[in-house]
Amino acid sequence: MHVIVATDGSKQSLAAAKQLKAFADPTKITDISVVAVMRPLASVAFADDLSDHPARKGEWESASFRDAAESALSTIAAVYDGWGPKVHKRIRSGSAANEIIKAAKQYDAGLVVVAAGGRGLSDSVLVGSTAQRVQHYAPCPVLVVRPAPRVKKARKG
Amino acid sequence: MAESTATVPPTADDDDGGLKRSITGAQLFFYTLGDVLGSGIYVLIGLVAAAVGGAFWIAFAAGVTVAAITGSAYAELVTKYPQAAGSSLYVQKAFRNRPLTFLVTVSFLAASFAASGSLATGFASYFSELFDGGGPPALIVSLLFVAILVLINFIGITESVVMNMLMTFIELSGLLIVIIIAIYHIAQGNADFGTLTDISVSGNPGLAVLAGVALSFFAMTGFENTANVAEETIDPYKAFPRSLIGGMVVAGLVYVLVSMAAALTVPIDTLAESDVALLEVVKQGILPFSTELMTTIFTIIALVAITNTTLVTLVTQPRILYGMAREDVVPGVFAKIHPTRRSPWVGLLFSGLVVGALLVTGYAVTAAGGGIDLVNRLALVTVVFLLLIYALVIVTCLKLRGQDEDERAFRANTPLLLLGLVGNLAILYYVIYDDPTSLLWCAGLLAVGGALFLAEHFFGSRGTGATAPELEKEI
Repeated sequence: MHVIVATDGSKQSLAAAKQLKAFADPTKITDISVVAVMRPLASVAFADDLSDHPARKGEWESASFRDAAESALSTIAAVYDGWGPKVHKRIRSGSAANEIIKAAKQYDAGLVVVAAGGRGLSDSVLVGSTAQRVQHYAPCPVLVVRPAPRVKKARKG
Repeated sequence: MAESTATVPPTADDDDGGLKRSITGAQLFFYTLGDVLGSGIYVLIGLVAAAVGGAFWIAFAAGVTVAAITGSAYAELVTKYPQAAGSSLYVQKAFRNRPLTFLVTVSFLAASFAASGSLATGFASYFSELFDGGGPPALIVSLLFVAILVLINFIGITESVVMNMLMTFIELSGLLIVIIIAIYHIAQGNADFGTLTDISVSGNPGLAVLAGVALSFFAMTGFENTANVAEETIDPYKAFPRSLIGGMVVAGLVYVLVSMAAALTVPIDTLAESDVALLEVVKQGILPFSTELMTTIFTIIALVAITNTTLVTLVTQPRILYGMAREDVVPGVFAKIHPTRRSPWVGLLFSGLVVGALLVTGYAVTAAGGGIDLVNRLALVTVVFLLLIYALVIVTCLKLRGQDEDERAFRANTPLLLLGLVGNLAILYYVIYDDPTSLLWCAGLLAVGGALFLAEHFFGSRGTGATAPELEKEI
């Protein structure tokens, strides 16, 4: 089975990737495609919140959104190091939900793993989130990993 | 799969093209066209007509030529360094001088903010035409306009390529209407071609044209925003120069035709006095249709055009702030990305607030009898910044020759670049000569940028945007 793990560079997407590993049987999975989607017309085409980049300031290297996507892909792919399935890293470009669905069709995926958006207003009231759209239109089962409920911060002081 | 230790090392570009890019040459062409066309013609044509007289199409032709040559320098640099940071990146690569890079970035931002403000006022002017000059107060309309665009941007509707193309087509159709009206007018034998050579100002006609060139140059700005999508362009080496320069040349051609059309159909005085100059062409009632209906349609088209361009500027500003924050030039908070929407919400909000504050201040100044139209004044003043940046980009392009060369990269014509440099400097000289106070304004704007820089210097040391912003910090 080919599994698609989508990442938008968010920490939730890393949690989603780990969730898959937590319960799935690696012998049943032949391939994992980690997919990052660049959004060319957005202010920030891709932001990587996952990796600690070696900051090369003054070089303006961080101006490359493709580099950000690559580093996010590497961080996610590293989750499956030594787990079994062959891991592919793929960068696509366009609208996130569309591209994830297209990738699922193209690779004949048996499962798509996405992180759900937050629980905030912006996702339920405004235009549906990527996860919602993937759920509706994906050609295969979809694992939507919801963020853990927020822990009250009071304890930390 | 039992020997699970033998994980195949993942590669980014395996089999069926793991590195898919999505912007085609045609899309880039329309992106350039839409971005350039909306930025000035609907708002500026009256001013240019006032400066030059009936021959103001010459000013457009000259301004467009200088801009297109500058565009070719951008095209060369973009194919060499296809990151999205634009001029800041190039200047940094060429001079490796942080204060200079910072200066360029702040100047660019200032120009971009002022342009958004001017576009928002332009939007309000056209909007009130829907209510026969009445309707809601212009300030409220322009503020709401900016607020809605910021929200749209945050949600990410702007990211639809189809939407972008559609808006560009609508934008183009408005200008085609103007040209068709003129053709009809000519066919009826009513056109007086003498207007086209008339430079109706007292004083030196050369200077008058130069004044018009400076103004019309503003109508071409926005093309540098195409660097936004450089990284996502398919076959950028070929597609980028073709689409960028092609888009600018076509936009220029449309401008020249439209300004000729306007000059032929509307008395120059009427054009010069109008806030909605292109609408005057339609209002002449030349076409045998209901003028009222045509006016409404055209007004809506103009609104779409202005919206399209403003959206692009509002996408670019947070992007630049994001890039600067990650380079630790401005406070790291500007690199904050919304955890689920993936938008740089702090930068976006900041852009919206600056433009909003600009509009409110402009309104207050006028209401208090300040006697100047602050927003449009700023938009014109910041042309000084843009001219400086463009001149610098041409120099940068020449300086970076021989570095990071790639035979696939586009190479701009050197004599043309020199001509473009002279053109930019001539316009710059004229703008300052004509209006020395603009230097004061520029200094003031740079001071604001300097404040940001110092803020980062003194308070920003712990929050380097180069590392991921903490999600938990929010609320």
